[in-house]
Amino acid sequence: MSDERLEPRRVQQALVAMLFDPEFAARVRAGAVPELSERERALLRDVDPRALETDPHRRARAVHVLVEELPATAAVLGVDAVEGFLGSPELRAGLFERAALTASFAAWLGDRALGVGRLEAAMAALRRATEPSGQGVACSPGVRGLVVPAGTLAFYLRIRAELGSDPVHALACWGGRPRPSPPRRGAQYLLVERKADGSLDLGTASEPLVRLLAFAEAARARAELEAEAVRLGAESAEASKLVDDLLAEGLLWQGAAGP
Amino acid sequence: MPGFLERLPALPALGVGISTEYGARRQDGALDPRALRAEHPELARFLEVGVEIAKGLDDDARAWVADGGATTYHFLDVNLDEPEDLDPRWLAAVRETVAMLRPAWLCGDAGMWHFGARDRGHMLLLPPVLVPEAVAPMAEGIAALRQATGLEVLPENPPGAVFVGPLHVLEFFAAVAEAADTGLLLDCAHLAMFQRARGLPWNAGFDGFAWDRVIELHVAGGSEHAVEGFSFVEDDHGTQVLPDTWMIFEEALRRATNLRAVVVECERNPIPAVLPLLRRVAGARPA
Repeated sequence: MSDERLEPRRVQQALVAMLFDPEFAARVRAGAVPELSERERALLRDVDPRALETDPHRRARAVHVLVEELPATAAVLGVDAVEGFLGSPELRAGLFERAALTASFAAWLGDRALGVGRLEAAMAALRRATEPSGQGVACSPGVRGLVVPAGTLAFYLRIRAELGSDPVHALACWGGRPRPSPPRRGAQYLLVERKADGSLDLGTASEPLVRLLAFAEAARARAELEAEAVRLGAESAEASKLVDDLLAEGLLWQGAAGP
Repeated sequence: MPGFLERLPALPALGVGISTEYGARRQDGALDPRALRAEHPELARFLEVGVEIAKGLDDDARAWVADGGATTYHFLDVNLDEPEDLDPRWLAAVRETVAMLRPAWLCGDAGMWHFGARDRGHMLLLPPVLVPEAVAPMAEGIAALRQATGLEVLPENPPGAVFVGPLHVLEFFAAVAEAADTGLLLDCAHLAMFQRARGLPWNAGFDGFAWDRVIELHVAGGSEHAVEGFSFVEDDHGTQVLPDTWMIFEEALRRATNLRAVVVECERNPIPAVLPLLRRVAGARPA
């Protein structure tokens, strides 16, 4: 990166990161940061830190959105931990990539909340999924296969029911109650599907199907996908028909031409 | 395409108007635009409708239009300098809204309305980075939106507690207007915030500004606050207009020879509370 680079949009995205994260703002003031050229940093280093504090509710609003959309995850981690994401490199990376806040949160989350976190992160991603472009065969944009610890779906449904229609309020009322501990062992194979009305269907599916869909999260050549189907237990002679069936059912998506 | 100053005669003179945005009247005591127009038509000649496409138009805006009232379309959801933001789906929805509102033009704060794509929790409003490199991307967005809607698009100087970059905000927007060949919306309250934030007199940057491109003015109340000794103005659209905002407004009236409209932004205040403000504006610029 040249020290002479000056991308106004990048400067503004860094300013947003400074608004969310006082520690990042302090680092911008103190010296070089990898996200900015020296010329870009020069524009931000003199920003009065107090000017970044004029909206006292900015962080709370962001946390509110995350807790509303990933409530069981917030119950498992605790709201304070969710707020910790606002000071993370994943938040900054997401800002520079124009990613959804929930997507950056999912990147930060990883396996922190185990299967329930991955389930809610997948649900958030499906709500925002758009029609893909490009080539190859991939999992449909409204479908996600997940391998999670056994019992994750029941755990999620129980916590979600406990939190009710206002999870932010419910969690605020939890006080010192111990955080629920999500399942850790075994395996459960989940299929999450976005319906035409935007709602999400959650259910279990066979291991080979879920693993095949997970394999197809990145677009694959059709031959590669058929080979994976065989590796997962399909008969060689049936692999092509299996992929055709999954395309017909809308579980897989095919681009204009395979790579 | 003729230049902006040649296109200018096609823009109607709207006079004094008021603003609204989705759900503004849910707050107790908020302004009822139609009631104001019924009681004082000279103070509500048009309605500037703040539009966030994801929310659509509320009953007040629809009723105003059904009555045949004039409007302008104030966008609340586009980062003009981000080409990704002018996506086909959003543009199609904008055109549908334009067809309903039949606005005289589009306008709105030319800043960062949201980080990332439009999504829950992404909304904010930051002024542009005031560097020459930021002029062309914004001008391109303005031209693209004008082409997509067939209406003039007037960028507005946004509010802020912090302004980044060496240019004066008037210098920046004059450059944007020239590059996009468009008119301007000058928000007097936002300009007062800028001048204060930079420690400048209220009329700094006036000489040399593109006053002939100023088509619309905004006047709004603001409240003074401080964080650990750092003073800033909150753009609260209340009824207490800062003295420097008034001075900017009165001088802008004198200089903006092609002015078509003045909006008093006071959507969350009852009619009796906003009448003095509206009368002062209307008196300064007889309709």
